[in-house]
Order: sequence, then C-alpha cells, then structure tokens
Amino acid sequence: MLFYDVLASIIHDMKNSLGMVINRLDEVVAEMPSDANDSAKITSIQQEAKRLNNNLIELLTLYRMENERIAPVIDEVDVMSFLQESMAENQSAANATGIDIGCNCSDDLIGYFDEGLVHGIINNLIGNALRYTQSKIELSASEQDGYLVISVEDDGSGFPEQMLKAQEAEINSNGIADGRTLLGIHFANLVTKMHKNKDKTGYIQLSNNGKLKGGCFSIYLP
Amino acid sequence: MSNIIEKLKFLIVDDYADMRSVLQNMLLSFGVQNIDMASNGKDAINAIERQRYDVILCDYNLGEGRDGQQVLEEIRHRKLIGVGTIFLMVTAENTRVMVMGAVEYEPDSYLTKPFTKDLLGQRLTKLLTMKADLIEIEQAIANRDHDLANQLIDDKLKKKKSKNHKILLRLKAELALQDRYYDEAISIYKGVLENREIAWARLGLGKAMYFKENYADAKELFAELISENERFMSAYDWLAKTQQMLDEFKEAQSVLQKGAILSAKAIPRQEALAELALKNGDDKTAEKALLQAVSLGKHSIYKHPSMFSNIARIKAKNGQQAEAERFVRDINKSFKDNPEAELYTAISNSMILEDEEAAYKNMKIASKLFDKLGSSTSAQIAVDMAKAYSHAGDEEKAKQVLHQAASNNHTDAEVLKGISDTLGQLQLEEDPQAIISEIRKKVIKLNNEGAKLARDGQLKEATQLFEDAAEGMPANIVVNLNAARTFLMYMEQTGVTKDLSVKLEKYLRRAQNIEPDNRTLLSLKKRSTKLLESNS
Repeated sequence: MLFYDVLASIIHDMKNSLGMVINRLDEVVAEMPSDANDSAKITSIQQEAKRLNNNLIELLTLYRMENERIAPVIDEVDVMSFLQESMAENQSAANATGIDIGCNCSDDLIGYFDEGLVHGIINNLIGNALRYTQSKIELSASEQDGYLVISVEDDGSGFPEQMLKAQEAEINSNGIADGRTLLGIHFANLVTKMHKNKDKTGYIQLSNNGKLKGGCFSIYLP
Repeated sequence: MSNIIEKLKFLIVDDYADMRSVLQNMLLSFGVQNIDMASNGKDAINAIERQRYDVILCDYNLGEGRDGQQVLEEIRHRKLIGVGTIFLMVTAENTRVMVMGAVEYEPDSYLTKPFTKDLLGQRLTKLLTMKADLIEIEQAIANRDHDLANQLIDDKLKKKKSKNHKILLRLKAELALQDRYYDEAISIYKGVLENREIAWARLGLGKAMYFKENYADAKELFAELISENERFMSAYDWLAKTQQMLDEFKEAQSVLQKGAILSAKAIPRQEALAELALKNGDDKTAEKALLQAVSLGKHSIYKHPSMFSNIARIKAKNGQQAEAERFVRDINKSFKDNPEAELYTAISNSMILEDEEAAYKNMKIASKLFDKLGSSTSAQIAVDMAKAYSHAGDEEKAKQVLHQAASNNHTDAEVLKGISDTLGQLQLEEDPQAIISEIRKKVIKLNNEGAKLARDGQLKEATQLFEDAAEGMPANIVVNLNAARTFLMYMEQTGVTKDLSVKLEKYLRRAQNIEPDNRTLLSLKKRSTKLLESNS
C-alpha cells in the first residue's frame, strides 16, 4: 500500500471515531438539565470535534480529487431543504452558545450541484462562522445572473486581509492565517470550480462588511 | 414534525453495536417507540419478513455476509417492502455515484456518517413529505398500472412548479422506456438536457438509443458519460452492452475490466465480464470474474447456477478435474429444489466428466429436463443447452435449440444477438445473422397474420393460428399473449365454454411465467376475470 492510501484509510478511521464522539456528546447534552453549567463546555468540545471532522472530510475529498479523479454528480437539489439540513446539523451548537442561525431562501428555489460536496463546504463555513461570529449567522441562497449563490454571513469582525487575498491566488505554503486555515478556502475553491454549466464555471467570493457587518463567504454555482 | 415521526415503525441495521445504540437514542429523542434492531443482513431480512416497517435505517457496510445494498436488492426483489417504506442507506462516504443508474434498487436516500439527530430528523421529514407527494404514483407503478401512473404524473406536472418536477419527469421517461415508447423517452431526456447536463438524463437517452437499435449514438453517449465521470458505473455496463451489439467484443471486455477494477462488487458486471471473456477466448479473466461473482453472490439475488457451471467447464479444460467436479456439486448445494439447478448439474456433468458413459447419461438427463421447461425456458438456458449438445457432437439438436430460442425471443435484439453469436461460435451456421433475421421475420409475419384474422372477425381461425404458433414457441411472450387475446375475444363474442376458458388460462399462465410484469398480460387478465365472472 502506498503511504497516501494508508493515510486515507487512517483518516477514514479517525472520522468514524469522531463521529461516535460527536453523537455520544449529543446524548450527554440531551440528558443534562437544561440549566447545567457544563453543557456549554460539552457543546464546545463537540464543536471542536465537528471542526476536526470537517477538516478530515475535506482532506479525504481532496485526496480523492487528486487520486481518484472524482467528479461532481450534478442533480436537482431543493435548496431550502438543503440549507435546512445544514442548519439542523449545527443547531445544537448554536443554541448552546446563544448564536442565532437564520436562513433566507425562497421555498421553491431549485439548484443544480453535487449535494455531498457542497454540503461539505457549507458545513465547514458554518463551523467557522460559529467560531468567529458575535451573535448571528445567516445562510442565504438566491439566483443571480445564471448562478445559484449560497452565502454564509456572520456579524463577527470579518475575514483577515490575508484570507481576502487568498481567494484570488492558489493556496501557498506559508498561508496559515490567524487560526483560520486556508484549507477551507482551497477546498471551496476546488469544489465550486468543478461545477460547470455550458460556458460558466463556479467560483467563490469572500467579503467583509456585508449585511451583518461581518464576514460573508459566497459560493457561485452555475 | 416529531409527531409524525414518533408514530413510525423503525428498523435499525448496523453491525456495530455502538452505532445501533446511537441511532436508537436519536430515534428515542424524537419520541419513537417502535424500534427494532438487526446486526446483520440476514437478521434484517428475517425481521422484514415478519413485519412491516415504515423506515429502515441500514448501514451499507455490515461486515460478513450481505451488505446494505444486497439487503435492499433482496427485499425489493422479493417485494418484502412496499412503496410506503422508506429505505435510508447510511454510508461512510458519498457512494451515491457508484450505484447511480441502478434505479430499480436505489434507496430513497443516502445519509453520510457522521450526522446529528437534528439532521436525521430534517431528512426524515423531507422524505416523508416527498413520499406523500409521490405515493399514489409509486403505488400505480408497483401495480403495473402505467396508464394511471402516467395520468397522475401529468396531473402533477401541470400544476405549479412542483418540487418533485425533475423526479416526475424522470419517472415518466422510465415508464416510457419500459413500455417501449422510445421516442417519448428520448424527447423527455432531450428536454432535460437542453437546460443542463444531468447524468441520469444522458444515461436514459443512451438507453433509449440502445433499445432503438441505434448503437452508434448510444455508444457515444455512454462513452461521454464515462469521460465526464469515471466513477459512473452503469455507463460502463451500458457501453459494454452496446459494444457487444456492434461486434466490438475485445473493446467491450476492456471496458468492463476497467469497471470491475473501480467497483468489483457488482455481480451482474462480473458475470457480463466473464461472458465476454469466454467469447474472446480469455479463460483466465472469465474464471477470475466468475469466482468473484460466486463468492459475492452467496447472499445475492443475482446468483445463478450457470456461474458454477461455467467455472466447472473452465477448470475441466485446464485439467483441474477434481476442482471442476466440486463446483458442479456446489450447484445442488447452493440451489435447493431448483429445476434449473438440476438441469445445470446435468449439463455441466455432460461436458466435464471424463467417463464417456457417465457424460452421455447426463446429456440424456439434461435433454429431458430441458424439454420439460417449456415456457420457463430462458434464452440463457437455451444457449447453455446448445453448447452441451454441440459438445456431445449433436449439432442438429444444438441448432434446433438455438433456432427455437430465437423464435421464442423474436422481439429482444440483445438475446437474438447472443444466439447469433453462439451459432457462429459453435460453427453451426455459415451466416447466423441471416438465419436469425429470417426467424425474426417469420414470427412477426405469423403474428401479423393472426392479428389480421382477428381484426377481420375470423376469430376461430385466429385462435387456431395462435394455438399452433404457441405450441412451437412456448416461451414467446408475444405469441402467448396473442393466443390468450384471441381466445378471450372469441369467447366474448360466442360465449364462454369450459374448453375455451381452459385454453385461455393456459396461455395467460404461460405469459405469467415468461414475463410476470407484462402490461398487456395484466390488462388481459383483468378482461378475462371480468368475462368469466359475468358468466358464472
């Protein structure tokens, strides 16, 4: 077996363990009285485990992209329920830290993308936003000029300059910015670029001072 | 949401005790009370045999024995779950593309581990809403009432933009394919593709082209799908099928070999690969694929005695006599009380046994068992029987069996090609294609003549014609349906008699045997019940 294959299978195993940790912590929180002090602590442990898990999923997907040349499976997606699922996955963490997650999307919006891959991006963006926001996160989706735009916005202090720059350039070796790794951007960039329709190609856009005055990460899917 | 979910009956299938308890706790937190659990495929199927579940949460990976996909295949194939049951496949990663296109046995949804209980709840709510919207249509399809299904689909499509719009179109196109309305299917698929590239639509378009015998276009479509996504497994299977129709056997084999490397678990793919390799004289590849198919097939609905028989023949050819005989013995062990298995045991023995007398004895047994099959004779059995005859030196019989198989299957281009290839391979005909096309024409002409007689009101003559035809082609679906139809029309006109209704039922039974889900058969059965009831 090649080193990278071993790595992939180990990542896989780690992912399973983390999955169990996340699920068991869920049960622990559910069994605690609602005013228990420790529940916030446990939720933050769980949040870190999820972050780790998201990173592992990204790594595994990146590995697959390079070694198995996986391609996106484009199908019709009910965007509202897609976003609701992403919210649901992070709801307990948001509740524990008193962060309000909202969703702004028309009920009949239809998108065309690889649900599994894009779910990876959105989940990661929400995970990051939970870390850096003040009080609010908003998911939104709409159609703009032949693209489906999905955005994750927060009311934190916004993206550092380095990250805003990184969206343009390819990831470089010294590009670790203030705890926010650029892996997420790299991953989102790759996945959106894999989405093509006719002559249009997907892309990402990071900006600050949006509607919520914090960071806004948008992915454009043709 | 929870108040709908909490009333449902759940089955959790996972080999990992911790995961079962995690899933159970999630469901308990929704207020669900009715939860059963199984730790492997066998227990899951036993549980499903005993009672009806609303939702089955099944892990793809179940350790030894069946995997989740095999559980799904078996319970759908044996109709152990109805359209109302939701089957949710839990996977370690996104494996959807690997099984995409195998629509018949697709789960309702995939859930990638890990997921939280909130996500599970959200997904269940979504699936329940979708089920509620589609259940009437799915029920009609399960009842083979395609007219009703199409009508329901059209009604829904006419209403404002439905969330299930594309699913409805996909269902409609699939019904059109099944009912041989290829042009309708093509126009639906093309309409979808006009807006954007969607893999299922391109695959469907390719299938429609294939069934229209437009193999060049079909080949191009399947090849494009693979070049866009090399994990799209069903495109490999269809490309190889198409290449076979174009006599590109070597190319077809290499396509399936590539497919089998990417995804080795599909038994039909391994079987198709083995068949191609045998045609190409590549016994080594054939043997490997067959052994793989047999070991995977232990718990599968795809297991067939011909696999064992083919392995035995290859082993015997390579001088591994004891091994060969062991595989023949395995046929009866693996398929208890199965007339096809008995036949294959005899066929194999006639071809591998070194003792000439014993081989001859088996040939006679095989011949007798084969003749007894009648309307249950599949084309594959006929081809294998012909090979046995040819091996025994009885070329006339081999030819006869293959000709009969061709007339029994005159509407199936793929089967006819296989028969024609076998005729050539066994050197039974100079120009097998010409012979086959002649047989095909003859059967079509006969059917047309009978239909004309019936149209002209000469029903008695029509019944005679189809009765004779059906004697010669006991496994031909069209002929037997036509025979049933004319007897029905005859009785509708002249009154029910015992003699005629016995014949009507005989042909209906035969058609049932050949193609239980045939739509014409279902409508004839309805008509016949009505007639016989009004008379009793």
